[in-house]
Order: sequence, then C-alpha cells, then structure tokens
Amino acid sequence: MGFVVTDLFKKYGDKVVVDHLSFRMDEPGVYALLGTNGAGKTTSIRMILNMLAKDGGTVEWNGAPLTLQNCNVGYLAEERGLYPKNTLMDQLLYFSALRGVPKAEAKKRITYWAERLEATEYLFPKQEGKKPVKPKKADQLSKGNQQKIQFMLSLLSDPELLILDEPLSGLDPVNTDLFKSIIHEEIEKGKYLIMSSHQMATIEEFCTDLTILNRSKTVLQGNLAEIKKSYGRIHLFIKAEQDLRALIEQAGITVLSDIGFSYQCRVTGEDQANALLKTLVEKGITLIAFELREPSLHEIFVEKVGDANEE
Amino acid sequence: MKNNQKHGIGNVFRYTVQQHYKTTSVRIFLAILFLLSVAAFPLLRVAASSESEVTSSDISQLYLSNQTEFEITADDIHADDRYANVTVTQEKLEKDDLRQRLHDNQNAAAAIISATDFGFTIDGYYGEDSKISENDVSTLTHVLEDALHQSLLRSLSVTQEQIDTVNTKVNSTVSTVPDYLSGDKASLDTGTHMFVNLFYSYAVMIISALAMSYIFQLCMEEKVSKLVESLLVSVSPTALLAGKILAVTVFIFGGIAMIVCGLIISYFIAKSTGDVSFIRSFLVKVMEINPSALHFSVNTILLLVICFLLAYFIGAFFSGIVGSCCSKTEDTQQASVAVVLFLMIGYMTASFTPALESDTANYFVSLFPITSIFTALPNYVCGKIPLTVFLIALAVQLVTVFLLAKLAGAVYKMMLLYSGNFPKPAQLIRMLRENRGTAKAAAGKEE
Repeated sequence: MGFVVTDLFKKYGDKVVVDHLSFRMDEPGVYALLGTNGAGKTTSIRMILNMLAKDGGTVEWNGAPLTLQNCNVGYLAEERGLYPKNTLMDQLLYFSALRGVPKAEAKKRITYWAERLEATEYLFPKQEGKKPVKPKKADQLSKGNQQKIQFMLSLLSDPELLILDEPLSGLDPVNTDLFKSIIHEEIEKGKYLIMSSHQMATIEEFCTDLTILNRSKTVLQGNLAEIKKSYGRIHLFIKAEQDLRALIEQAGITVLSDIGFSYQCRVTGEDQANALLKTLVEKGITLIAFELREPSLHEIFVEKVGDANEE
Repeated sequence: MKNNQKHGIGNVFRYTVQQHYKTTSVRIFLAILFLLSVAAFPLLRVAASSESEVTSSDISQLYLSNQTEFEITADDIHADDRYANVTVTQEKLEKDDLRQRLHDNQNAAAAIISATDFGFTIDGYYGEDSKISENDVSTLTHVLEDALHQSLLRSLSVTQEQIDTVNTKVNSTVSTVPDYLSGDKASLDTGTHMFVNLFYSYAVMIISALAMSYIFQLCMEEKVSKLVESLLVSVSPTALLAGKILAVTVFIFGGIAMIVCGLIISYFIAKSTGDVSFIRSFLVKVMEINPSALHFSVNTILLLVICFLLAYFIGAFFSGIVGSCCSKTEDTQQASVAVVLFLMIGYMTASFTPALESDTANYFVSLFPITSIFTALPNYVCGKIPLTVFLIALAVQLVTVFLLAKLAGAVYKMMLLYSGNFPKPAQLIRMLRENRGTAKAAAGKEE
C-alpha cells in the first residue's frame, strides 16, 4: 500500500534523463528527492504525475497505477505562475472546480487558506470610502504573494499526496516560516509529501527518507537518520582563541577548513575526538566550541555527488 | 468520453468563456458590433435613397435643348408618370439664359442633349437656389436617355412592338442532359458561381482566421503564465484543449448570432418605418446576382450552419495543432504563416475553380478536405454538384474534423511542456512518432 515508484526510466534520443528510479512510501511522511541541476528530479515528478510519457517503470498509489482519478494530488511546481489578467478569486474557484470541489466548499477553503497564508487583503479587499472595490488580479501582486496563491492552489483540494518542488525558493524569512508551519501541519494531518529542494536545511527539517540523484542516477537512498548514523560522528568543529592547527594535525585529524581559529575537521571516530579534547584541556587551552556531530545533509549531498562525478 | 474528461472540458469551457466576456474591451466591441448591425438597414435605406431614383418629382418646368437630329417630344417625357405634369420647353439655350431661367423658377430644370464622336451626352442642370434635388434631375436624365433610345429606334422605323420584343429580358442557365431530363434545377452561370464561391470562401476565411488568433492565444496562455504543470494535475491536456476550442466556438458563433439578431431587429425597424424593397434591390445591385435563382431554402440555412461549423472546426483544430507548438509570443508569427498558408491554398483554389467550368474540377475541390470547406456548399447551391456528392463532401469534412481533433489533442499534450524553438514539420512528426512509441511501450508494460 502507499506510494511506490518502480524502475522509472526516461530518455530523450540517446540521452538517459531518469535511470531506473525506484522508491516507496509505505506510510505518510515526507520523502525528499534531491539532486544537482539537471539530475532528473522534475522529469521524475512529471512522469509520476503522468504529465510526461514514461519510457519504463510504474507509479502506484495504494496498489493501483496512479492517476488523477484515484489519487488526489496537490502539486506546487518549480515553474509556477498564475493567469496575470484574471482575478485571484476566479482562478482559485476555477482550480477548485477542476478538482471537483463544490463552489460553496471551495469558498470556505479559500477563506481559511487566505487567513492562514495572510492573503485576506488580496482576496477579500476592503472597500475604501465610496469607491467600489475591484478584485485583485495576479499581476497586481508581488512575487512572494503570488507564491502564496500558488501554494493555496495546490492545497485547495485537500490532497492526499502533496508534491512540492522548491516550495520555499524566493520567499522572505517571514513567509518561509509561514510556509514551513503549513508544511508541518500537512505532515501532522498524515499526508504523503514529496519534496524537492536545493535548500538542504529545509529538507533536513522535514524529511524522513530521501533519494539523491546525480546525472539521472540514484547515488544515495534511504532513511535520513540511518544514513547519518551510518556515517557516524566524524565531523568535528573547534573554535578557540589561539592557533590550534598544529595540535589538531599532530592528533592525526584532517583539517577541512581553517578560518580565524575556527576549524572544520574530520575524525575517524569518537575516540580520536576525545583524545584531542583531553590534550587540549591538559594544555590549558580555552575552547569556545568543541562539537562532534553527524554529517549534515548538505555535507552528505556534496560528498555523494562529488564521489559520483569522480567515478 | 469519460466523466472526468467531460467535467474537465465543462470547467475549462465555462472559465474561458467567463473570462472572455469579463474583459471590458470585448464587451465594448460586442456592443458596438450589435449597435452597428441594428443600424444596418436604416443606414442602408439612407444610402440607397441617396442613390436611387425618385418616386415623385418636384420639377414643374423643363428647358430642353436637343442638339441632335433625333426628336424627343414632350409625350416621351410625360410617358413616365413622375414627369407627367412637367411643362417641356424646347429651345436652344445659351449659358446666361439658362442661369437666369433656373434662377427665376426654383422648380425648373434644364437638359442639353448633344452628339459626340462616341455617342450622345445628356447634361442635366438645376439652379443654385433650386427646390429640386440632384437626385430628381438625375432621374430625369435617365428618362431622357430612354426617350433618346426610343427616338433612335423610331428613326429606323421600328415599331413599339418590335422595341418591346428587343427589350425582352433574357435569363440564361446551363445544365447537363441528365439533369435536364431529371428535372433538376439548372446550374448558374460562371460569373454568379464565382461570386458565390468568393463570397462564401471569404466568410470561411474570416471565421478561420478569427479562430486562429483566439486559439493561438489560448494555447499559449498557460505556457506563458507558467501554469501548465499546476493545471495538468487537475485536467487532462485533451480536455483543456477541447474546452478552449469550444469556448472559441462560442466567441465566434455567439458574435455571428448577435449580428444576425441585430440584423433581424434592424429589418423590423426598417419595415416599421417604411418600404423595405430597397434591401433586395441593394443586394442585387451589389452582388449582381438574383437570389431567387440560387438553390436556396430553409434547408440551405441549416446546411449553411453545418458547413460553417465544419469549416470552423477544421480551421480551429488545425490552428490548435500549430498553436500547440508555440512556446513564446514570437512563435505565433511562424505559426500564423503556417495556418494562413493552409487556408490560402483552399481559398485560392476555391476562388479560381469556377473559371475552369469543369465538372471534374468542381467535384474534386468539393471532396478534397482543404478545398471542400470553401467550395462544397457554393457548388451545391449553384447546382455544380448533386446532393449525393455534397453529402459525401460533408462526410469527408466530418472525418477530417475527427482526425484533426485527435491529432490536435496528441500534439497539445506532447508540446505543453515543450519550451524549445517552433518545430519544423519533420521534427514534429518525428516527435509524435517517438511519443507514440513511448506511450505504446508503457501501455504494453503496464498490461
């Protein structure tokens, strides 16, 4: 049951753009689809949604091939827009009608999401004086506010499967937090979410499982926590008030970066880090920070993609 | 058709129509068009009355200077009821005399008939402060023309009976022996056939060109607005295109219906305020055909609507195929050339085929899809093809509509996410083949 992608394959001429991608979501959660530019993320999403013909593979939703009829999908595309000269309300009602949401229910949902996304003033402009209020059109809104309406379009049908392609790109910090809180709510409601983004910190905040694509191929796949655990705590960050480089290297530790007495290092394990800490304390060196941690998603991504490119 | 497809088509259709009629410029344009059509017949009456002959004359005195050897009598002029009471004074007039006499009598007119190397000239005059109209004097000169012809014939000792015989009107028709024997109506002459063909082809051309511009715009708007992907999770590409083409059908045929309604209202306004015979005489004068000679009936109006719809859908779906290939506004230039070329081939062939006066040519252009939409109905109405051939032509058009609709759906679906340059025909065919192969392979694997 759930959502299963098996052996998804696509090529244009002789060029393979998605090479046998497989992943599954047995229960609600967030699945991240990561990759470099041109790795095949958007093509995969388009094939998943039947917008693009597949050269191979299957996409199943609850055991049957996924179609627009058997799965209520919400999709916030990376390339997104609105009809510039049409009113926002008309567009929202149109999309709701296309998704089979009755008009009265659609209006309720629009009111809810307008409040939730702080877009009431654009959708329900207040009358100023005796002048009749003209409904707002899309081209009267800033890019960020248009993005709110686009996000609203993908949520109006109350989808079971929500696919978000770069949902936070172009947003200011306030709206980023607003979007994040809504994504959290959707996760709590038990939705299936597929998220694609270049903002690793965002992905790390939400996702449980992931696939990293590079040049059409899957280079890493699995549960994020397990992947991180498998790497171990090998990243060490030290900040001091004096130069420590020589002492660190004497302990056999690789210094990855050295900026103003702040060191990013790679250790072989906790024992090596503990030994270094003991040495530093014995020498009476004042430490501002000494942090031994698992690699971040960003670091894993860079490493995996780098390894794949070297091969 | 599946229910979700119908649902999608219905929603796209409603939204597109709603947004079109919400546009202020469209509403203003339609209002102006409606007002113009309502005003058409009253305006036509004004135009016709300024050019037509008078029904009663204000002329009481005519100074006639006949400088030819052919006698024109007062009786010749009085023979026309409108000038029965005009006093005719025949004398050689000098310019100064003429001016003085026309100044003295405001109901007087003058005419000088002279012979030239090429025939005769009749010059009519009226005073600067005259109470008579230019139209009145013009009508009088026509009466004098007739009188001069009568005088010419009399000079040859031709009797009135012989004159009437010579003036008897002749209508010519052409038909094949089998048609004649079967009692079918004869076909019209080449000139009329050509005129009907041109007129109808022109109407089809305008409708198709209008459809083209609307459909290009609608095919591209999601691409330009970057809404394609958001829409495609809600509606299939085929339903999206079908809904849009149906909406354009409403724009165009709604506009035509509105003009027709305006003309009907206009006709009743003209009828309630006077005689409407000017409409027929104006049409005959402009078209130079006798409408009653056409195979025209209530059924023909029905056929006209069907033929217009078929022609429209062929043009619309072809525009849909070409418009789907546009990714940027600049691409529409290339796309327009392709569609206009397609229409021009049909239009030009349809326009010049009557000149060939060949049954084979008429049959061919009536049955060949591109030319059929321009020629089948005119050829039938003018009696150039029998009913059976006409019905086959309609069937050919219907099949063409169906095939083009399928192709348009496939191309639209394939090109919606395409963002490259406007593809050449060979490239488009290759892409379609590849796409078809992919779809077949995927279907096979899923089975």
